[in-house]
Amino acid sequence: MPAAASLLSATVMSWLIICIFLACSGKNTKHSYPAFALLLGSIVLLIAAVMGWSCDFTWDAPAPIYLAVAPLSLHIDSLASIFIGLLAFVGISISSFSPGYLKHLDGKINPGIYWAQLLLFAGSMLVLILAANALTFLVAWEIMAISSALLVASDMSNHTARRAAFIYLGATRVATTFLMAGFLWMFTIVRTWNFADWHFAGLPTATPAFLIMIALCIKAGIWPFHEWLPHAHPAAPAPVSAYMSGVMIKLSIYALIRIFLFSNFNSPFLGLMILTLGLVSAFWGVLYALIQNDIKRLLAYSSIENVGLIVSGVGLSLIARRLGMPVIAGISLAGALFHCINHGIFKSLLFLGAGAIDSQAHTRNLEILGGLGKRMPWTMLFFVCGSAALCSLPPLNGFSSKWILYQSLFQLGCASPSLWLAGVAIGAIGIFGLVSAIAVATFAKTIGIAFLGRPRSHFAGDAEECSSMMLLALAIPAAACVVIGALAPYVLALFQPICIKAFNKTIDWNSVYTIPNGAIYTILIVLASSIYFIWLSQKRGKVERFVTWDCGYGALSGRMQGTATSFAENVAYTFAPLLEYHRHFTIAGRDRRHFPEAITTESDVDSILEHHIYGPIVKFVRWLGEHILRLQAGSVHLYLGYMLLTLVGLMLVGILI
Amino acid sequence: MTPVYLKWLIFAVCMVALPPFSVGFIRKVKARMQNRIGAPVWQPVYDWIKFFRKGQTVSDNTTWVFQVSTALNTAVIILIALFVPWLSFKPAFGGDDLFLLLYLLALMRFMQLLSAQDQGSAFGGFGASREAYLSLLVEPALFLCLAALALIARSTSLSVIFDFSHRCTIYEAPVWLSVAFGIYLASVVDLSRMPIDDPSTHLELTMVHEAMMLENSGKNLGLSEFGHFLRMVVLYGLTTQCLLHLLSMEVLIGGMMNAVLSVIGIFVVAFLTAMIESIFVKLQWRRTPEFVAYALTMGLLAVASALIGGVYARHTL
Repeated sequence: MPAAASLLSATVMSWLIICIFLACSGKNTKHSYPAFALLLGSIVLLIAAVMGWSCDFTWDAPAPIYLAVAPLSLHIDSLASIFIGLLAFVGISISSFSPGYLKHLDGKINPGIYWAQLLLFAGSMLVLILAANALTFLVAWEIMAISSALLVASDMSNHTARRAAFIYLGATRVATTFLMAGFLWMFTIVRTWNFADWHFAGLPTATPAFLIMIALCIKAGIWPFHEWLPHAHPAAPAPVSAYMSGVMIKLSIYALIRIFLFSNFNSPFLGLMILTLGLVSAFWGVLYALIQNDIKRLLAYSSIENVGLIVSGVGLSLIARRLGMPVIAGISLAGALFHCINHGIFKSLLFLGAGAIDSQAHTRNLEILGGLGKRMPWTMLFFVCGSAALCSLPPLNGFSSKWILYQSLFQLGCASPSLWLAGVAIGAIGIFGLVSAIAVATFAKTIGIAFLGRPRSHFAGDAEECSSMMLLALAIPAAACVVIGALAPYVLALFQPICIKAFNKTIDWNSVYTIPNGAIYTILIVLASSIYFIWLSQKRGKVERFVTWDCGYGALSGRMQGTATSFAENVAYTFAPLLEYHRHFTIAGRDRRHFPEAITTESDVDSILEHHIYGPIVKFVRWLGEHILRLQAGSVHLYLGYMLLTLVGLMLVGILI
Repeated sequence: MTPVYLKWLIFAVCMVALPPFSVGFIRKVKARMQNRIGAPVWQPVYDWIKFFRKGQTVSDNTTWVFQVSTALNTAVIILIALFVPWLSFKPAFGGDDLFLLLYLLALMRFMQLLSAQDQGSAFGGFGASREAYLSLLVEPALFLCLAALALIARSTSLSVIFDFSHRCTIYEAPVWLSVAFGIYLASVVDLSRMPIDDPSTHLELTMVHEAMMLENSGKNLGLSEFGHFLRMVVLYGLTTQCLLHLLSMEVLIGGMMNAVLSVIGIFVVAFLTAMIESIFVKLQWRRTPEFVAYALTMGLLAVASALIGGVYARHTL
């Protein structure tokens, strides 16, 4: 047994044991002990990930542990170790962030239960990554879903949190149903539970593949199954959001790659389907992100966008493989994986940053924030860094991965034998461009409204910088964004064994990746700092501080600034039908045209899917439930009658067959 | 062959001199169109000398973002001007990718939006909101235009795309033409010029770019203006290069001629801008998407003709 495998098993076991202790100690638990356990486990995982990258090893759980028809079987290879590395990295940030953050939730959550669930959640994600067969995967998937749903509802006294957990639980139930159906169906065809032995052969396996894909899309938050994300994230505590958005939704991508790209899966329709769904959810997610006023809700929508981009990369890879272009398939898979890692890093940074704002200003509503940059300068610096990476601004890490996705789209557009597929690929470049422009607007709005300008309320005005441990938790991923950006070609080399396994092709990254990130860093830093020190700094010439220009009226207040809603108003107006955006004006007064006495304007935005698709479905299920309830009338005679009817029915069926 | 240092010298002179002179030229033409004599063509240079002599007044609301964004944006636009082949005689510089160009422009916009909101005034807020809106409308057009050029060159490197090593064929001509128009229309929006925004007024209801620059003063304003003008010249230069490639279908234009034409072309495009600003009125704000739709159409046309032209070229050759 390689050392990596032992380390991984040891981590899972020790987290499980700590979970039991934590659940027993309940309300008296101090935050620092379990946080330390998480930190220690994450560091061990990081070491195991480094060691496991060159492994390819399967091991089973010892004798008494058995999942009825298959062993609890684990497998470590380079793909798994990359995701374990991500899990560990996010875990390190979370463990340093949590103790300080959870202080403002004291009395609202039960620390013992919270930490037990968090460790269970982290452990189940680890087992999910390691799962070598479908049953292990399913078990880990279920534990992951339930523990995260309970974590969303950590603050049980909060009505929205309970509702959010319920919606999330509903989504995971549907996902599990699809997944189970897909796995069972697949088992009946290939007669094995091992992922490694799954072969997709033509039409009979298309339906189970479709079912599995739908399940993974629900969990990843792909349009139109994304509705649970914007509910779950605002309700969950920030570290949970960071885990869920940074790692959990990526595990669906991991499973897509493990199940479909590592086998001989070759369906043209499903590849195109996830490419399209990915593009739609990228656009949909970012458009909705722009108009949100709750920071965490905004970040949740932005996760939908990024997962959309990643999934379209995976879809592209499937299409390119089918067309017999392994190099393009490899490039797009590497782009998708790279973006997975990058998004995991900067999205957990941003969620933790939103948590820092929440814990210091006690609100996440952008409309009453503002001017936090003066009070929380370090938080702002890291948040800006994460946002710039998310907007894929060069030379940070987000740009590198986005660039590879662009490159694969472009190369498919050049090499595609059919005109319409080339059109789709180049059109996708246009959509990617639109999506990143909206992302820039979204994060310029978030930073501008929350951190810059003047405080819009005393919540923002009284905020203070968070503790140094929390800042450290933000600094680590921010530094990673910068460093990964500089070392992009080396990071790409990590994906080489995966490309070889999936497409049997090595890719020469030095010739593919032509962006000199290091040179751009150097030039920009040297140029910008010399411009700053020659002309702009205090020492060179007089710099006078004075009030912002107030048109000579004086007394600018915090409310005389652009708001979050007004920032997005132009876009909301243009895309009004998609966003269900309505605006009502009332101008009151006698001669209201020239001398209005009161002007009020109100705008509201609704989720079109929730309104027109999911709402009616939920209503129908309720209606059905109410009517089925009539069967249960409480009379023993009636129930005996049902039994008789069933027996007779079964007999008839038996006779007929 | 001209030695490399001479090339760099000529290029550096162009990079410093072209932005103020083309802006001065636009202003002069506009003044003549309005029967005024107008300021001399080198007036922007005088303005800069004035700006760099003055001290700065900075709002006490601002954080580090305000000054850093000006420094960073100036650095970014200089970097862009160095690697983008907007003049045919630009010396070679590695890593000139089209997506890098577009994302560096996005980086500039991001910092500009932040610095606008840093002032804590209503003007900065709505200027930023409008700029963000315009940019997201125009971005797909720019992406599609440059992607179409990349398709015919089969490379995303700008120096390969704008290389004059082979003459434009009949199948490529529509691409170059529609991309030239597409980039020009996009530049009108990107630089917030006339049908979208009037750069010569300071009316709060209409401002886009000016609203964001309201708090910049002294050296900061001088640097911001330099960045803006350089950005204008680079975009006009790209338009000119597209037109020159179109021209290369009919006439073979050599090194020297090409270089002179590149510079003259920028002034021709500037003249066109001045004419448009003199003749047309500003569009109603809600109707800007209709204008941007033309740029997007040009982008789509360019991609379609690049793809279809590619198929035809493969069949005939």
